[in-house]
Amino acid sequence: MSTITSTPVGARAAASAGRVSLLQRFQPSSLVLLFFVAILFVLIVAPMSMLVIKSFTHPETGGFTLQNYLAAYGTPHHVRALLNTLYMAVCVVALSLILAVPLAWACTRTDMPGRTFVRVGVFGAFLIPPYLGGVGWILLAGPNAGWLNQIWTWLTGDVEPIVNIFSFEGLVLVMAINLYFTIFVLVSAAFEMLNSEMEDAANILGAGPIRTALKVTFPLVLPSILGSALLTFLVSMALYGVPALISIPARFPVVVIQLSEFFTFPLRIEVAAAYSIPLLMITAGLLYLQKRILSRKGYASVTGKGGERRLVKLGRWRWVMFGYSFFVVSISVVMPLFVLLMAAFSVSWVRGLTWGNLTLQNFQYVLFEHTTSQKALISSVGLGATAATVAIVLALAIAYIMQRRLVPFSGVLGFLCMSPFVIPGIVLAIAFYAVYALPPVSLYGTYLILALAFTTRFLPIAYTTGSAGVSAIHYEMEDAVRILGGGRLIAIRKVVAPLLKRTLAAGWLLIFVPAAQELSTAIFLIGPHTRVVSVVLLDMSQEGQMEQLAALGSMLLLLVTAVVLIGLRLLGRDFMMRRS
Amino acid sequence: MRSTLLRAAALVFFAGATSVAAQEGESPQYEPWEQELYEAAQEEGQIVWYVSQTTSEFADQVCNLFQQTYPGVECSAVRATGSVTFQRVMQEVQAQAVQGDVYSSNDTTDFLLLSEGDALLEYLPQRIDNMLPNLREAGRDGLWFTSNVSPYGIVYNTGLVAEEEAPQTWTDLLDPKWKGQVGIAHPGFSGSMGMYAIAMRDKYGWEYFEKLEENDPYIGRSIADGFNLVVSGERKVAVAPVTLGLAATASGDPVQTVFPEDGLMLPPSGTGILADAPHPNAAKLFEEFLLSEAYADLLIENLRYPLIQGVELPEGMPPLDDVELLTVDPESAATEVVEIQDQFRATFGI
Repeated sequence: MSTITSTPVGARAAASAGRVSLLQRFQPSSLVLLFFVAILFVLIVAPMSMLVIKSFTHPETGGFTLQNYLAAYGTPHHVRALLNTLYMAVCVVALSLILAVPLAWACTRTDMPGRTFVRVGVFGAFLIPPYLGGVGWILLAGPNAGWLNQIWTWLTGDVEPIVNIFSFEGLVLVMAINLYFTIFVLVSAAFEMLNSEMEDAANILGAGPIRTALKVTFPLVLPSILGSALLTFLVSMALYGVPALISIPARFPVVVIQLSEFFTFPLRIEVAAAYSIPLLMITAGLLYLQKRILSRKGYASVTGKGGERRLVKLGRWRWVMFGYSFFVVSISVVMPLFVLLMAAFSVSWVRGLTWGNLTLQNFQYVLFEHTTSQKALISSVGLGATAATVAIVLALAIAYIMQRRLVPFSGVLGFLCMSPFVIPGIVLAIAFYAVYALPPVSLYGTYLILALAFTTRFLPIAYTTGSAGVSAIHYEMEDAVRILGGGRLIAIRKVVAPLLKRTLAAGWLLIFVPAAQELSTAIFLIGPHTRVVSVVLLDMSQEGQMEQLAALGSMLLLLVTAVVLIGLRLLGRDFMMRRS
Repeated sequence: MRSTLLRAAALVFFAGATSVAAQEGESPQYEPWEQELYEAAQEEGQIVWYVSQTTSEFADQVCNLFQQTYPGVECSAVRATGSVTFQRVMQEVQAQAVQGDVYSSNDTTDFLLLSEGDALLEYLPQRIDNMLPNLREAGRDGLWFTSNVSPYGIVYNTGLVAEEEAPQTWTDLLDPKWKGQVGIAHPGFSGSMGMYAIAMRDKYGWEYFEKLEENDPYIGRSIADGFNLVVSGERKVAVAPVTLGLAATASGDPVQTVFPEDGLMLPPSGTGILADAPHPNAAKLFEEFLLSEAYADLLIENLRYPLIQGVELPEGMPPLDDVELLTVDPESAATEVVEIQDQFRATFGI
């Protein structure tokens, strides 16, 4: 029996055989399914159901209540934070589109000079965690001492600030420059799928390059623009680091700050859970919408790879476009990174570049005198690598099972893998805290709880990469192994794994970078021995010790970049920049 | 003549040598009870200190000195604002997974709440009698003791504000000339800012903050944030611990400290050991250390007020006996602090 049932054919046959008894239907392949369902239950189902249950639980009696929802939404201040968040997210998306879409078009479809430079620059925006970008901009645009304002005063003698980062506009700007990366990548991909025939038609009918772009090219990539815009909307609602730095001085209350306030004394986990349910529903609704939009084919993918793809000649607009791209890369990467590094080497960041202001003391402090930061650096990199590895292996196994239909109901697994996408990091942290930190599980303060939470958070990225990779490999090659007498494991080891190496490594890097810098999932789950750099930085930012913060931030950036560079070396550096 | 010189030189040399020897010989000289505690602490190997009452830089210095004094007992300082730190402590208590040992806060209502939940370990430090008499009282029940004398005043940037222009009272901060130039903290994050808000409300009524709001102050999370903004020149004036101001002036930063005429604000501070502390002996040793002469020296070096008797204040540190101190009664603050946070949110919209 086992020889039959361990094959996919057997599994399918058994799945379709409805008449056999329950016991007869039990097969080894069901064990595989059970195994993965159990893992996903631990990672996703249990925390999320606990969140929903908690939101209806009376904190003292443990009985059913709606009181938490009343406490969460009965206060105008709390409702305003939610409305503020939605408004902010809309503005962030709008600005991100303005930053990303022209760049994506210019880099993929035009003869703009310096395209590689722009791609590398945008990739830099991916490497810099949002809270460090935020700190960079506080140094640049603090209303009185910020560099841009100082330069303005020096140039014009006017002491009124021209830019104030502690404002709604400042908040939106910092969010957008940290998030436009996603839109750039997804829209670039769509542009590269287009062929030039329709653009040619427009050209023949007398339209110039800009007009062609607006009338023909952009409508064709509209689905991916909308899809990535929705994604950015979700991410910006859930981002914690930037609001923590800016929204309090800007006096603009948002959901994530409110959620963290429910976590101060008196600890109101139930209210926090109730407060996050609508956020979860908005996210789920929007993701559904995004799926609908992207599944409406007939645009890009149909005309697909058939035709020829030529670069649009921009003529004198080449340099205008380059100027704009350079501007975007400057405000998102070059400028914040420059001031951050300068602050890291300064006695006082306001004094500027003088010999007397130069010091290594900040590095000495964060590396040797600060009692937790050294360990935090190791923890961050270690947790990032662990989460990336576990998520990739898990996602790949599930993607493989799904694509090869090795077990019945495997669609459920895929759905579960993608579901953490709808969970904002801070909500995930609350859910994990509720299930795993408290007794009887009592994982509070262990690396395990952090690794589990980080793995869950990045499982969707892993799954997307994994299933794309697996679907690209035809099963013929595995069948060849099977025919020659090898088992499935040999087929996986000798055929699938080597073919997937690149995809896996790319996916690993895509997870490692944000996981090593993860803040929002970590804030409620770290203990004194398991602090990660992001949390140490957040604690430092409360005190406004910008120089030390910058030094520790650059150390994190250095470590993450080093890992990425090694990875890119192994992969060939174009892995994220261009579709192969 | 020559021989006298030689003899003098020799004397100086030997005196120096013996005093060095004395110093070297002195450090491992522990009192018997201390030695016992130290040995027990060595077995535990470490101590985790949750602290919100000092800057992280100072907290790390304290930890490093503790490690030097008691080699083999590792000290980790976890510094954040009052309410963030308290949240972590409460989270651990609630999760029944206490990982911190010693907790220090500038808002002693925390200790009342912790002791209500039996979350504090009773330990009356051996050195409690070394303390200044006026500080000693809070610690008599052995659950916590006063561990920080860090009054709040006004700090201004000397590059941006002339001495005669500088605010002299808390109400001076309401002057429209400071619009967009004052730094404060948020009582929802900073425990001591909550205490400050209660003290100001008691003295001037809530209108004080309504008027302050019109001046559009910078609201940080920690009180140290406003201070650092004044050092960098991002803001001209801030409500800040005077000890930070004095130390910054001494190290050459462009700041001066004002002791407001209407009184320095002294947040009620405390340190206690958590009931389920994983390293109780190390925790006790750490509390003793906070009442030691070595720690008093470190405080003085950083222009912070000492906790124990017989320590002379260095130059530039005005004694607190002659100035008016505004304080808050921890018992009544415990019921008021949540209310004051909400009032602050209503007034400042955050």
